[in-house]
Amino acid sequence: MEHGAGSTGAQDDPERAGDAKALPAGEAQFRGILDGIPGLVITAAGTGELELFNAPVLEFFGKTPEELRNWTISGIVYPDDLPRLIEVFTVSMSTGCPYDLEYRLRRFDGVYRWFHGRALPLRASDGRILNWCFLLTDVEDRRRAEALLASENRLLEMVAGGVSIPKILDELCRLVEDTATGSYCSVVLVDSTGTQLEHGAAPSLPSTFIKAIEGRPVNVDSGPCAMAAYLNEQVISTDIASETRWAAYEWCPMALAHGLRSCWSTPISSTTGRVLGAFAIYYTEPKTPTTEDQVLIGQFTHIASIAIERQRSQTSLTLALDELKTSEGRLRTIIDAIPGLVWSAAPDGNVDFLSQPWCDYTGVSMEESGGSGWAKTLHPEDAERLTTYWPSLLASGQPGEFEARFRHFDGSCRWFLVRAVPLHDETGQIIKWYGLNTDIEDRKRADSLLAGEKRLLEMVASSTPLALILEDLCKFVEATVSECYCSVLLVDPTRTHLQHAAGPSLPASFNASVNGLPLIVESGPCATAVCLNEQVIAADISLDTRWEQYAWCPMALANGLRACWSTPISSTTGMVLGIFAIYYTEPRTPTSWHQALIGQFTHIASIAIERAQGEAALRRSEAFLAKAQRLSSTGSFSWRVATGEITWSEQAYRIFGLSPALPVTLELIGSRVHPEDIPLMHDMVARAQAGQDFEYEHRLQMPDGSTKYLHMLAHGTVDREGQTEYIGAVQDVTERRLSEEALSKVRSELAHVARVTSLGAMTASIAHEVNQPLSGIITNASTCLRMLAANPPNIEGALETARRTIRDGNRASDVITRLRALFSKKEVVSEALDLNEATREVVALSLRDLQRSRVILRSELANDLPSVTGDRVQLQQVILNLLRNASDAMAGIKDRPRELVIKTERDECDHVRLTVQDTGIGLEGQGVDKLFEAFYTTKSNGMGIGLSVSRSIIENHRGRLWAAPNDGPGATFSFSIPRGPGAVTGANSLGAMRTRAVTDATRVMGNP
Amino acid sequence: MPICSLVSVVDDDESVRESLPDLLKEFGFTVQAFSSAEEFLASDCVTQTKCLILDIAMPGMTGPDLQQELIRRRQDIPIVFITAHGEDNVRPRMLKEGAVECLFKPFSEAALLTALNTALQLNELN
Repeated sequence: MEHGAGSTGAQDDPERAGDAKALPAGEAQFRGILDGIPGLVITAAGTGELELFNAPVLEFFGKTPEELRNWTISGIVYPDDLPRLIEVFTVSMSTGCPYDLEYRLRRFDGVYRWFHGRALPLRASDGRILNWCFLLTDVEDRRRAEALLASENRLLEMVAGGVSIPKILDELCRLVEDTATGSYCSVVLVDSTGTQLEHGAAPSLPSTFIKAIEGRPVNVDSGPCAMAAYLNEQVISTDIASETRWAAYEWCPMALAHGLRSCWSTPISSTTGRVLGAFAIYYTEPKTPTTEDQVLIGQFTHIASIAIERQRSQTSLTLALDELKTSEGRLRTIIDAIPGLVWSAAPDGNVDFLSQPWCDYTGVSMEESGGSGWAKTLHPEDAERLTTYWPSLLASGQPGEFEARFRHFDGSCRWFLVRAVPLHDETGQIIKWYGLNTDIEDRKRADSLLAGEKRLLEMVASSTPLALILEDLCKFVEATVSECYCSVLLVDPTRTHLQHAAGPSLPASFNASVNGLPLIVESGPCATAVCLNEQVIAADISLDTRWEQYAWCPMALANGLRACWSTPISSTTGMVLGIFAIYYTEPRTPTSWHQALIGQFTHIASIAIERAQGEAALRRSEAFLAKAQRLSSTGSFSWRVATGEITWSEQAYRIFGLSPALPVTLELIGSRVHPEDIPLMHDMVARAQAGQDFEYEHRLQMPDGSTKYLHMLAHGTVDREGQTEYIGAVQDVTERRLSEEALSKVRSELAHVARVTSLGAMTASIAHEVNQPLSGIITNASTCLRMLAANPPNIEGALETARRTIRDGNRASDVITRLRALFSKKEVVSEALDLNEATREVVALSLRDLQRSRVILRSELANDLPSVTGDRVQLQQVILNLLRNASDAMAGIKDRPRELVIKTERDECDHVRLTVQDTGIGLEGQGVDKLFEAFYTTKSNGMGIGLSVSRSIIENHRGRLWAAPNDGPGATFSFSIPRGPGAVTGANSLGAMRTRAVTDATRVMGNP
Repeated sequence: MPICSLVSVVDDDESVRESLPDLLKEFGFTVQAFSSAEEFLASDCVTQTKCLILDIAMPGMTGPDLQQELIRRRQDIPIVFITAHGEDNVRPRMLKEGAVECLFKPFSEAALLTALNTALQLNELN
């Protein structure tokens, strides 16, 4: 119990110990209670020697019991309060009388707080004092509040009493200095030009300091107060010694020279936001304002602003009225020009002067209004209040103000703020009352409109049912516009009828009659307004001849209505959602104020209706979407690449077989992606990070071992913050893929035939391939016959030729077996073409196949590629062939990504080169040249024509086609053709090409 | 008809170079086979050859190219073109260019013999 009630150093007193034992709860509980008391408790011996401190005491002071026992010298009591406390304490100890005193104590952090200290003696039965008990209650907050209240009242009294501004501000500074221990206060004012500081008050600061501040320019450099006034914001300098601001004006050295170490400057602003001056608090130590300090500052700057502002306006009014007395003729016009109703009254309250605007407004002459005649123009509801308030004000002799409605000559009423100020003579007697009535009708209306709008918008925002909002809206308009009745009608979802929505004060029979009226111009003003999308005013229903067919006017008249203003409520897209209608029981035409009001409330109604309908539509479309996603096995997702935030639809979770409770991450997705397709996923992420749209087919490996095929498509959009967000769809195409794969053999054959069919050069090739062996057969057979017919027959020669015949026959048969398709002729066209564009077309056509084969394609097409001349289709056949070969070469690769790079670039000698690089099985040591032989193939189902024909095509373009193994896995095939024009040889390019193609194939056939 | 007239065969197809000389020998000719026009031009058979059986489509110098070269060298050798390319317009073109005959593979023994005889008669006229 180091820090608790047990921290006593006193000798055990047998009697005290006995008392403690007498407590039924026992020693420990006694100490517990003592430590738990929300106040500081100290006990002392009868002689006044402090003995025991409860836990809050030790916590508050942050000192040891020894230091606390030396309280008279250990600095825990505020120096100003110490002598008095010692005096009272000493008297109490010597007389045994309790004391009761407030003084400041130093908290562990150096902050002084006011305490209410009470000392009570505990006596033995013989009257001897056994102990003293001190209870210290922290009254800082209460004192501050009291001081504030008292100060405020005092200052406001001074303001009201017309005390001069320097005196008020002096007092204000003193009150703050009293409240905030150790502070020095000042007020500086901004001069009439708004450019310089002038002295306001600083009762405790050195005059040299005040002099140094006066006249400083209002800017950020000349000092904290100037800066606060300039920026209209608080400027805090917690330690002037380490401050770097205001160096240009050497403010800090000046302040330090006066012993000041911290300064808090706060601007004093008028109600209109104009900066009037600055209020500053200084300390001789570095200090940061606490919350309590800020409250104090806030309150006092507020009072200062009232004082300064009031003084200034009062001064101008008094001046004007004083001048009026001396120079009635000229100044009367000035008074009359004041935008308010100016009056003066005798000390007994009888009005003896009213400005012309008063008479103009009320339509009552000066004579009639004099004395108490003016009271007749008061609104009846306000008359009673004012007739009691006015005499009490007169009796108090204090300035006062009052809000009341005065009747306009046209019968309408407007709100005024009536201010009355007494004028005293030298002896303090009131000699006159001056008054100014300011028209506050617009402000009042604006306030109440604003409050109403705010409430309605809050209802909209909090999703209050539409009917309640509209009903409230009607009631509010009825309360704002006297004697009117409001209703709101909606256009029904089929847009054929009007639906009653709200009309809280209209007869139920009327609402029922309007509900369900057809949306045609003839059915009534509201329907007309919807149909024409414009306001319809029926200023006097009894005279109106419209809507006869539906007898709308008689119906309205029967319900006591004489005027109707129907205004369409339109959506943001311009569609009419409904009607806001105002009715009167008298003929009426809307004023511009009415129109403004109608405009505001139809706007609010449109927000409410649109929001309600939008929410309903959203709920519907959400439900539809969920259903559609489920039916089509399509999920949707969004992905913010920068933050990695991924959102999935319900169906997307279902497709991945994951719980919707899980947050979606790339890791989570990766856990489901088929291991062989992980490189595809990485490629996709890379594409997304580069901001490209993407489309992929990949597989999922489900926990049950099954495989799902997904087709994914994503489109990137850039939001207002410049962040890319992908919106995409992911479809489960497993069923489709399975049936597709079942057909794949059929299709690949068809595709193969189609591939070969499209090659014009093959027509010639086939005839050639077949005719060559046939030629051999016939020649050999002829030779054979001749050898056998010779005398003697050349048997050996005949056998050899017969064997050759069989070999050539087999070869021809092989050709026929392989050539299962007919080849059609195709025109060869030579044209200038962009190889990049041709490549892109092929890539676009192949992309799905490549993705299906899980090949990652990268295109590196040179930007500055010159055009070439040639046959676009043939060159594209070559590119397609190279892509397919590359893709096929990677079909069996499982241990590395199947990467395919297609590249175009300038080559030497004015050539253009295209390269296709794969990571497939490579060339495997076979003769590279052999690759280009017709019918040479490493593929089980290939015809082997592709590369041979490709080489022919390229050579016909005066180029060359070659293959090379990669450094790593795979092979690279390239062709290089000269840039155009005139790339294709021969005037008769058709014939020339054919011939060359044949030439090539012939050579191959010759080397079986 | 001198029995040992030299007939040269120029064809890049090996099966032709294999089978055709044997048949020609059975006819009684002396035969030399070349796999390209260049090889033939480089040989010492150019002046000896009484008839040239020449493939049209070959890599490098084609049959018609060789024909033009021989005309340029004033080597007036009768030429029988052979081709596996059965296009109708080839034969008239070749005959117009001065060929003795143009045979489409596969050709018959009789057609070959007729062409050779025509060629050798031309030789004798010369």
